[in-house]
Amino acid sequence: MIKLLKKELLLSFHPTAAIFVLMAAMVLIPNYPYYVAFFYSGLAAFFTCVTGRENNDVFFSLMLPISKSDIVKARYGYVLILELAQLILAVGFAFLRSALGFPSNEAGIEANVAMFGISLFMLSVFNLIFFAIYYRNIKKPGVAAIFASVTYFLLLGLFEMLVFFVPFARDKIDTADPLFWEYKLIILAVGIISFVIINAISYLSSIKNFEKQDI
Amino acid sequence: MDYILDVKNLTKRYENFTLNKVSFSLEKGKITGFIGRNGAGKTTTFKSLFNFVHPDTGDVVVFGKSFKENELDIKSRIGFVLGGASYYLNKKVKTITEAAKTFYSRWDDDEYRYYLEHFGIDDNKTVSKLSSGTKVKYALALALSHHAELLILDEPTSGLDPVSRDEILQIFLDLVERGITILFSTHITSDLDYCADNIIYIKNGEIIAENKLSVFIDQYQILEFNKEHLSEDLISKALGHRRTKNGTSLLFFKDVVVQEPHKRIKADLDAIMVHLEQENHL
Repeated sequence: MIKLLKKELLLSFHPTAAIFVLMAAMVLIPNYPYYVAFFYSGLAAFFTCVTGRENNDVFFSLMLPISKSDIVKARYGYVLILELAQLILAVGFAFLRSALGFPSNEAGIEANVAMFGISLFMLSVFNLIFFAIYYRNIKKPGVAAIFASVTYFLLLGLFEMLVFFVPFARDKIDTADPLFWEYKLIILAVGIISFVIINAISYLSSIKNFEKQDI
Repeated sequence: MDYILDVKNLTKRYENFTLNKVSFSLEKGKITGFIGRNGAGKTTTFKSLFNFVHPDTGDVVVFGKSFKENELDIKSRIGFVLGGASYYLNKKVKTITEAAKTFYSRWDDDEYRYYLEHFGIDDNKTVSKLSSGTKVKYALALALSHHAELLILDEPTSGLDPVSRDEILQIFLDLVERGITILFSTHITSDLDYCADNIIYIKNGEIIAENKLSVFIDQYQILEFNKEHLSEDLISKALGHRRTKNGTSLLFFKDVVVQEPHKRIKADLDAIMVHLEQENHL
């Protein structure tokens, strides 16, 4: 796995990926729908796949002693690292926001524990759709990105509406930490578990789809 | 006989094209040219060999082992170059090498340095700054640095100027002296005249010849007839035809006896291929 990740970092890493990861700083914007910040790591996955297509990445990889499933493993590992790096960075920025005493977010959910749990879930759905479509036809990452992005923003709208319209969500979930930790930690736990399960399903189905595909 | 590569009944059906029961084998330490016109199935055959595309049927045995069951081991012993060796155009050569070499247990840095110098490759350059010929040489350097025993190259000389082509072919001749086996596809028949021991000829997805180059050429004769002496009977005996300035030239097997007045034309690989490809246009 180390070799595969090294190859991804040396050959597939694009500077925009670093910029997208740094979009974690968007949680410092006083009023903003913070879920948008995590969409950028999905975008990083898309740009990596586009760059790979332009550079004949899959052709080159298959000439090495690498199997098709290794190619999926490398890309998936690389994207998960980007996504988790962005989330961890965003946690740091959320602490900073809290320490600086920023007022509450008027444009969406607070940058709190529940928001990170829901973001993990949304990212895993993005991955599920993006990679399921991408590994059916690696020549068209744009199609995969459109479907995954539309779904991500529909979920974003849904979750933001919940904290706006549903009293429980508005009063207990859309609050600054550490208020109502017990509920928010449950959401974080669900987010982490769904992230693991959905990505595992997505990874295995991506391998299956890619194995079937003629390059 | 033990073959380095043994391909049996490789079949792949597409909507408008079928690779049909392709079978051939490669002897150790020989250069084999894989010829056929554009779209004949050369690249599809290469892709089918190594699971880039999934053949419907067929077996591929490399170094005596089934490719399907020993993919990674076999790949670590071969050099395979598809698509003109154009990868990661904006990356430095040394970065690509750094990423690739970790996958080969037999990687040899000294050998790599030797080939960079021998082939005149500056590994600080990006791939986009390399000439087409140097890209092919770099692909060869990568393969040779992990001690590849079999090189399979898809049209390595395509698009190269005559001097660069000649350099690549001379490298091939040096490599076979060291026991390396080479299979390369081309539609430039003079490449084969220069260096190939054997040829495999593919047409419309089927192998129509697999032979020593000299034997393949020696089995044909090309005769030119003017209009008055060209008959239906002659055409029916011919394997292919071609219009010429003075009439029509016909390709026959050497043992076909022709009574009509004719002029004998040199049957080289180029002329034979052109006639064989035109058989359906009578």
